[in-house]
Amino acid sequence: MGKFAGKKLLLLGERDGVPAPAMEAVFQNSGAEVVFSVTECFV
Amino acid sequence: MSSVGIKGYAYSLNHVPEMGLHYGNTPYVERLTKGETEFLSKLPEHLQQYEDARDYAPNQAYIGGITLDEYETQPKPWYENRMTDAGRYGRYGEIMPEDEFLGLMDICDVFDIIWLERSFASVVREKLAKDPVITDKVLARLENGHDLDEINVEIEKHRALPLYFENNVVGCVRSGHEVDECLFPYVLLENLASKASAVLSVLHLLKNFDVDPGEIDFVIECSEEGAGDMNQRAGGNFAKAIAEIAGLVNSSGCDVRGFCAGPVNAMIAAASQVASGARKNCLVVAGGAVPKLYMNARDHVKKSMPALEDCLGSFAVLLVEDSGDSPVMRLDALGKHTVGAGASPQAVTSALVWDPLQKRGLTFNDVDKYAAELHTPEITLPAGAGDVPLANSKMIAALSVMKQQLEKKDMMDFVREKGLTGFAHTQGHIPSGVPYIGHACDAIREGKLNRVMIIGKGSLFLARLTNLSDGASFFIEKSSGTPAVGAVTKDDVKRLILEALGDIKDSLQ
Repeated sequence: MGKFAGKKLLLLGERDGVPAPAMEAVFQNSGAEVVFSVTECFV
Repeated sequence: MSSVGIKGYAYSLNHVPEMGLHYGNTPYVERLTKGETEFLSKLPEHLQQYEDARDYAPNQAYIGGITLDEYETQPKPWYENRMTDAGRYGRYGEIMPEDEFLGLMDICDVFDIIWLERSFASVVREKLAKDPVITDKVLARLENGHDLDEINVEIEKHRALPLYFENNVVGCVRSGHEVDECLFPYVLLENLASKASAVLSVLHLLKNFDVDPGEIDFVIECSEEGAGDMNQRAGGNFAKAIAEIAGLVNSSGCDVRGFCAGPVNAMIAAASQVASGARKNCLVVAGGAVPKLYMNARDHVKKSMPALEDCLGSFAVLLVEDSGDSPVMRLDALGKHTVGAGASPQAVTSALVWDPLQKRGLTFNDVDKYAAELHTPEITLPAGAGDVPLANSKMIAALSVMKQQLEKKDMMDFVREKGLTGFAHTQGHIPSGVPYIGHACDAIREGKLNRVMIIGKGSLFLARLTNLSDGASFFIEKSSGTPAVGAVTKDDVKRLILEALGDIKDSLQ
């Protein structure tokens, strides 16, 4: 558990950058709760 | 057969600033939901004249007015350093002005959806007659026009959408149905604009590569529009509708969809049909997207720069049997972003680049250029979306380092050598690798390049059916010089046996 433990996360991903599912995977064991996660396309 | 020939290609733009101002999704939704906001009041001051768009270096690179080597030497920012020797026509197509495009939309309308004002239609007829790809037969489809009063009644009483040129109403898009939202004027405007821009690229391909329209066997269309009615919302089919107007009388067609990955998947579908012998040839085509006009204009206005997203893009590529004299598209090592591949940039790049390289026993260095997502960076950077082609090239370079095929210190050299500067409008499917096919084939024919990779990625998650994105890729390279050999048929075997028996008979005699 690190500094994200107990935090709530809003994840906004981008297709040609870092998509939201990849960020979710990163935070999976962080103790944080992902309350919203979406990937958008700005192009 | 594992490869097909790329016989022809065409790329065109339609400069439509007033269509964008009124019906580009960003200004359209803002007007609908918030009324006349500060952004909307400022946007008209940022519109470009036709000459501005014509003289914009990325646009010239798109239509083949300049080579990509020449493009690299153009001073930046391109919008402050307009070209002085640019023309309407390039090697691959043209940049058509808005009034003529409205005429072309009417030409492509077979349901009396588009009405043009009488005198406007007359002027447009004269202008279109000078376009070398608009034949008399095509031009004969242009209506004589309607009185402005009639058009105003359609707009005021029957929900028609006005069409503008030089701030005047010059026509309208009528509704196709009383209650069916799929046939309301906005949808029909979007679909007819996509159809018309696609037709323009097909006409350029036929002319530039001296192709008889009657020779085209099959058409696959791959835009991101949905044509249908309330019972089959995106039933299709753009392909056959485009073929009809372009005079491809012996062809049929169908549509392939996949957001921005549509064109690469359409290329693969078309090439597979040609390679199998199912079709003699296949034309892959897509028109532009009205909603994406001025998609990032809010940021362009904020940063006091021209609103650059004022063109509909289109392309057409003709695939034929590999006869040994055209660059070829390979089918034996395609990139595929599988369901289980994962969403991280590393996983996506592995699926689309590393896997096909491995299939053929190639290294990252064996590919001269990687073409992925060729958006013009001047459009996307001010909006915070980054330099998309550069980001993709860096990902490929990083993967090359991970696979121990490149030293980390050489990454940016790799990016410079094998990446591309973007030159396509933010028209979704249009920038997705395919704008490079024409330039790549020319460079391969000239012996400047041996092998390139075309990469398309699609944001499937936007449709709220899946969280996944998609991607696909393929190689283009010079032909081996000998026609590809198809599958051996029973008749081939019979013929060979008869020939052998004939030889034995001769030797016995």
